[in-house]
Amino acid sequence: MTQYFIRRILLMIPTFIGSTLLIFIILQLAPGGPLEQTIQRLQMGGMGQGEIAGAAGDMMTGGSSILPESALRELNRFYGFDKPIWQRYIIWLGIWPREIRHRDIDFSPDVFKQQRNVGFGNYLTLERDGEELKITDDSGIAPKEWKGRIEEIKEDGTARAVIFQTEFSGIFTGNLGTSYTYAQPVTEVMAPRFKISIFYGLSGLILMYLICIPLGIKKALKHGTPFDFVSSVVVFVGYSIPGWALGGVLLVLFGGGSFWDIFPLGGFRSPLEIWETLTWWQKIFDQLHHAVLPIIAWTIGSFAAMTTLMKNSLLENLSQDYIRTAYAKGLNEKRVVWIHAMRNSLIPIAARIGHNIGIIISGSYFIERVFNIDGFGKMGYQAILDRDYPITLGFLVIVVIIRLVGNILSDLALATVDPRIRFK
Amino acid sequence: MKWLNLFRKNIDNPEEISLGILKKRWQKFKTMKRGYYSFVVLVTLYIISFFLPFLINNRAIIVKYEDNVYFPVIQGYFHGSTFGQDVPGETNYRILRETWKSENSRNWLILPPYPYSPYEDITVEGNKMFDPPSSDRWLGTDNTGRDVFARLCYAFNISISFALVLTVLNYIIGILIGGAMGYFGGKFDLFFQRIIEIWSSMPILYVIIILVSIMKPSFLLLIGIYTIVNWISMTYLMRAEFYREKSKDYVAAALSMGQSDFKVMFKHILPNSLVPVITFFPFAVVQGILALVGLDYLGFGMPPPTPSWGQMLDVGLSNITKWWMVFAPVTAQFLTLLCIVFIGEGVREAFDPKVYSRLR
Repeated sequence: MTQYFIRRILLMIPTFIGSTLLIFIILQLAPGGPLEQTIQRLQMGGMGQGEIAGAAGDMMTGGSSILPESALRELNRFYGFDKPIWQRYIIWLGIWPREIRHRDIDFSPDVFKQQRNVGFGNYLTLERDGEELKITDDSGIAPKEWKGRIEEIKEDGTARAVIFQTEFSGIFTGNLGTSYTYAQPVTEVMAPRFKISIFYGLSGLILMYLICIPLGIKKALKHGTPFDFVSSVVVFVGYSIPGWALGGVLLVLFGGGSFWDIFPLGGFRSPLEIWETLTWWQKIFDQLHHAVLPIIAWTIGSFAAMTTLMKNSLLENLSQDYIRTAYAKGLNEKRVVWIHAMRNSLIPIAARIGHNIGIIISGSYFIERVFNIDGFGKMGYQAILDRDYPITLGFLVIVVIIRLVGNILSDLALATVDPRIRFK
Repeated sequence: MKWLNLFRKNIDNPEEISLGILKKRWQKFKTMKRGYYSFVVLVTLYIISFFLPFLINNRAIIVKYEDNVYFPVIQGYFHGSTFGQDVPGETNYRILRETWKSENSRNWLILPPYPYSPYEDITVEGNKMFDPPSSDRWLGTDNTGRDVFARLCYAFNISISFALVLTVLNYIIGILIGGAMGYFGGKFDLFFQRIIEIWSSMPILYVIIILVSIMKPSFLLLIGIYTIVNWISMTYLMRAEFYREKSKDYVAAALSMGQSDFKVMFKHILPNSLVPVITFFPFAVVQGILALVGLDYLGFGMPPPTPSWGQMLDVGLSNITKWWMVFAPVTAQFLTLLCIVFIGEGVREAFDPKVYSRLR
């Protein structure tokens, strides 16, 4: 068993690499990426209003005359587009050195050697030798931390070289990069928003289990009675209306638009100025007050499916032969239902845990958008709009990991509930 | 009726028996009142929705002007001057009718029963932004003065068509790949299993949004993208079915008689694994509709100004006081999905009946 789960965890790695590689390639090859957008913005910003129309035509023909070549080069380097795509990916993973602290060096036609100050009073001697760049420090040996290469030798004899340091930093070292829009490390952008989404996701999940399991059991035990019929209506409504749309309806009804003004229009809590003035109790109330509608919307999300699953699973078990045997032995109904049938009926419910955990995070953009909650899903959605690739990829990494772990959790839960299951 | 041959089985009188099963199931489905009536209503509405230009449109069906007869709905654009109306651009048939009526003119025209188009906005005379529901405008107008009811109805057709095409495509891919995976097994199976594993670890909708944000979506492109991302569930289902069926005796018998793999797969195994395919169908359609509504809501669905429930919801939720902009699409979507869920329930009951016998 332990062996099986260790193997499963190891198998996560190729799956993880496969899915991130796929998205990485799509994002990198997509037209209109961050590089193009920045170039466009800089070009637009660099000229007067009237010139824009003329320059637009220029750009169409490929004339990027406004940005100097060096700036273009630097942008390319900043976004990592100066490397082939496979290198970009493994740099992003953190298993290939990332080049940092670039310094450009120009060689005049007849100059083959020059000195360069690299800070802290250290000088490097750079020597151009055909296609090679030799770097030596004061003591005449090649420094470990500095690397360099000749980028280009022009026809007139001038050459352009670059020296840089390297480091390993990527997913595997916990570095998700820096967001383009927030200008902050991605992990710092994510952390507070992740907490918000987890708050809603977990409360919704717990509430859902608390409602669905008892309701499903009751429906199964009263199969065919008026109670079953009436509660089926609720279940069908749940099937036919997605949680976020219901959330929208609730918002219109109770958000103070045209009907009742009971709940706030959205947001995670009151704005910070108000929040700081509240007492401890008021804070709890404020938080719950804001959370009621979103959590209802959350719960509805998988309410119908789970209730039906619980009901059908229990019904099916109750019609099995071993239940007949249990009755025949003279056991009372309570014991038969709650001890014999229940444990087996919970198997499919347990198997869904991983799936539900995956939904907590990845399905949150709708509800967070409806209720204007600045959470994890909304961040991921906004990142696509802004072409903020580090955040987009970071979001995907987290979601993929959560899903993969969720799948394993499902199997673990399954193995716990069902003694027949032996994973090999 | 050639497709019915799919249901043949190697028994003395194949046609009668297999047709009998289908017929029996259909009879059974008919007895499921909820499902059956939902089916009838939905199919009728869907067929009607193809004739919407004749029912809900701002162009007249027939115009009799001077001595000529025009059919604007079919023929399309007519400049106002064609009918002696002094407007810039296209004829406003609603105003034209009123003028002719008040003039007691010899000319006449027949408008569709609900004379507003889903596309005309405030640039057309008489349209206002956020007009609340009235006897004229049954469900009011939206943020650009377009009629909500008209858009709602057109969106019905688009949503269902989208979901149907999507589901059928998914099924074709699922049956082909999943069937081959289950039937051939081996390296082919392993390869696609890895791919499915990778695919299912990704948040589907998020990937779709990324793809849509790169390309400019159209109906077909959106279906293409969604199919590429969403083919796995059906594939997995079919794989399991084919895997189970292939070990049965009738497959061995067919193979020993020299049937080709292709024939065994599609003539023998497929008809025997149709039950999950059919019972899953309505729910796949529900998923398709929900996906379209969601994508439209996020702004990554059909290109504007295509009428869509999701886009209306978006407008409604950003203008929370305009309640009809939220209620109308949610109700329409809710009723449609409810019908399909009822159908799904009926179909499942008819094709895959589960009899729960209880001792007490």
